[in-house]
Amino acid sequence: MTTRRSFLSGAALIGAGMVTKAGAASLPEAPVQSSAATAPPLVPPNGRPYNPVVTLNGWTLPWRMKDGVKEFHLVAEPVVRELAPGMTANLWGYNGQSPGPTIEVVEGDRVRIFVTNKLPEHTSVHWHGQLLPNGMDGVTGLTQPGIQPGKTFVYEFVARHAGTFMYHPHADEMAQMAMGMMGFWITHPKDPKQHAVDRDFVFLLSAYDIEPGSYTPKINTMLDFNLWTFNSRAFPGIDPMVVRKNDRVRIRAGNLTMTNHPIHLHGHTFEVTGTDGGWVRPSARWPEVTTDVAVGQMRAIEFIADAPGDWAFHCHKSHHTMNAMGHDVPTMIGVDHTGVAEKINKLVPGYMVMGDKGGSMGDMQMPLPENTLPMMSGEGPFGGLEMGGMFTTVKVREGLARNDYKDPGWYKHPKGTVAYEWTGEVPPAPRAPGAPPSKPVEAMNVKRDAKHHH
Amino acid sequence: MNCLHKLAGGASMALLLGGCASLSGDGGFGAAAGVSEQRTGLSASVAGRLPRNDDDARALAAVIDKKLGQPLAVDEAVHVALLNNQGLQASYWSLGIAEADLVQAGRLQNPVFDFKRSHGGGELSIERTLTFNLLSLITAPLAGRIEGRRYEQTKLLVSNEALKVAADTRRAWVEAVAANQSAEYAVQVEESAQASAELADRMRKAGNWSAMDVAREQAYHAQTVADVSAARKTAVAAREKLTRLMGLSGAQTAYKLPDHLPELPAAPQELGDIEQIAVNERLDIQAAKLDTAHTASTLGLTKTTRFINVLDLGVVGESEGPINRRGYELSLEIPLFDWGSTRVARAEATYMQSVNLLAQAAVNARSEARESYADYRASYELARHYRDQVVPLRKKLADETLLRYNGMLMSVFELLADAREQSTAVNGYIGALKDYWTAQANLEAALGGRLSGHLPTTKGVTP
Ligand SMILES: [Cu+2]
Repeated sequence: MTTRRSFLSGAALIGAGMVTKAGAASLPEAPVQSSAATAPPLVPPNGRPYNPVVTLNGWTLPWRMKDGVKEFHLVAEPVVRELAPGMTANLWGYNGQSPGPTIEVVEGDRVRIFVTNKLPEHTSVHWHGQLLPNGMDGVTGLTQPGIQPGKTFVYEFVARHAGTFMYHPHADEMAQMAMGMMGFWITHPKDPKQHAVDRDFVFLLSAYDIEPGSYTPKINTMLDFNLWTFNSRAFPGIDPMVVRKNDRVRIRAGNLTMTNHPIHLHGHTFEVTGTDGGWVRPSARWPEVTTDVAVGQMRAIEFIADAPGDWAFHCHKSHHTMNAMGHDVPTMIGVDHTGVAEKINKLVPGYMVMGDKGGSMGDMQMPLPENTLPMMSGEGPFGGLEMGGMFTTVKVREGLARNDYKDPGWYKHPKGTVAYEWTGEVPPAPRAPGAPPSKPVEAMNVKRDAKHHH
Repeated sequence: MNCLHKLAGGASMALLLGGCASLSGDGGFGAAAGVSEQRTGLSASVAGRLPRNDDDARALAAVIDKKLGQPLAVDEAVHVALLNNQGLQASYWSLGIAEADLVQAGRLQNPVFDFKRSHGGGELSIERTLTFNLLSLITAPLAGRIEGRRYEQTKLLVSNEALKVAADTRRAWVEAVAANQSAEYAVQVEESAQASAELADRMRKAGNWSAMDVAREQAYHAQTVADVSAARKTAVAAREKLTRLMGLSGAQTAYKLPDHLPELPAAPQELGDIEQIAVNERLDIQAAKLDTAHTASTLGLTKTTRFINVLDLGVVGESEGPINRRGYELSLEIPLFDWGSTRVARAEATYMQSVNLLAQAAVNARSEARESYADYRASYELARHYRDQVVPLRKKLADETLLRYNGMLMSVFELLADAREQSTAVNGYIGALKDYWTAQANLEAALGGRLSGHLPTTKGVTP
């Protein structure tokens, strides 16, 4: 098991001795993940074959076959998740990490999931998007009692249709989801050739409000989050998605934040091929470079990675590609600090002028409160990336091995394919004939034709 | 007393009598100054006597100018006051008056020579008499004794006056230095507000802020300017009070004070039986005691039969109080007379009046001792709380605020607001420190001497 799992990141699986041996005869093992790195795809050792997915900064939960039933064991428990190097969070998750491990099954599999609650309060698991008996739907109070602390419940159903799903509590969900209780669920098609792609990445969008200097999310925050994550990781803590040139690539994302995220890929067009309702018929697919993933939704996008390079992949809400920042900080752009800066510095030693030329902090490396991430950081081959939050890259390279997900480093651009500085003479800006000499631009007075409609 | 026996010798004894009490030459100043020096640890004169002439005045000015040449420490200020406070000088001179009275009382009145020439009926009569006041010869010893006690009492009261001036000066110095420091912090707050207001104005010019935002910052700044003026007014008043106590005028008023109050000592003084100390040490109590003795003497009540404890008069019912826990004995005994056959109502009334005044003085002294010691300890705790808790926590807050500014989590305006908060906390510490040093001066005044070294403490002594 170790050899199979350690090739990518040194991620280690620890066999859990945590689950009581009293129930060992009937309970499957509950493996625990200690690393937040991307684990390699788990090639199914038994059961029906399928093309495994890669969980971005996550892992897939191993199972055992018992009398033809796939048995998983999820342990809901407090975890410490590294959101990015330099910051950890006290979250709730499953089997050592938040989000929990991805569950991969095949269409038609009978699945039995043991859920042990090691949280201080009751929980439940709802299998988002699954078609299952009502009593297996995991809504506390409605379809089942809560799983009390220390108790284990069993969910059993048939994974009836292939697609992209997720799981999360439906018990005190405001608190439990804000604390990071969530996981991905993939039901692969019976026929591995159906919808087959070369690389299949999955992750959940989640957001946290963790005050700089603290470790636990403020679960009562509704919208003003300060950490926007893919699988509870924030850039520069998110791994790149490494693909081979001309691979057919699928990226599946589910949104468990409280706002929508327009997810944008550079350098390619893609099509939205799946939702949590199933696969989109080819005739209904739109070409896109950005797709909005609304709250509670899943999206699968597909594209041919035909353009080598390091391509940005991110949420297009620009605050979502920032880490912790003050939302009440006034704009300082254009504010002349001459003289005042010295005065302030006399009063507050260590003060430096920031923001008067924009939000970029350039290469400033200033001490921050403990356990937080710089608002924007990450170093690229050309300097500071000035990104945080929901940002990573799709690295398209020629000649990679089929299962090679290792970071190939920065892209080496062919000569003449990088934007460059013009050093020649700069001609004067063209001016419309008869235009008055340079004068501040005035707002255009637009007169709309009342009858004119678009 | 000795002198009196010699009266038997007749008129020629007048010379001897005159010689048995003489002027000390310094008006008794040396004696009073001795007490004050012992209590304050600072000499009360430059020449060892009160300044009388230009030379003395020059010597005094030289000493004072030298002290004023550098920032004036509290003991230096007290010293200047002892040397130079003109009210105190007047008190010293009153000692001279008392001494003169004493000496005068010890001397025989000058003999009176009468020459009477009369004629009537063609007869001329010339009468010459030499009158000598025999009565004064008889009462002289008593008068001498009375004036002697009055002189002693005056000495104590003058010394006590010196201690009061010393304590007042100490308090005034603390007040003046603290007021300066507070004014300085008011300026820091103002500077921070000014920076905010200026930046707000620049924000407005850049189009980033509304007129309302700017007005808010400017209004705050205007308030801090007013605060600076008020703080400076207070500082001037405090300094002038100190100047008056030190008796300074002219160029001497340009003296410098230290920038800061002395730091809080590592620990407060642990005083044992503060009430006993006050009763034993306070000069006003001693003077009242003398007054009682004086009254007794005046009334010719010389025969004592027993003593009463005047403290018992005033503290009945207090013996169970917490102050008794240490198990000390507190007593201030005075003779109570057997009035016997000399039961003269007026004499008794006068005496008992004096006894009660003494008792009240003792009650006051004990109460003041308790109050000022409690205040002293509480002031220490408060100042220490500011020093060890409030100020460091404010500093921590300032550090954390700067970190949040660095991370663009907070704005420069919050940074400046926090700088002001920090100044306020430091100013709070200055106030607490001022209260501590004032409480210490009050305690010294209530106990009748300097705390450091002079007064007995219980340190290392088990009760
Ligand atoms: Cu977003």
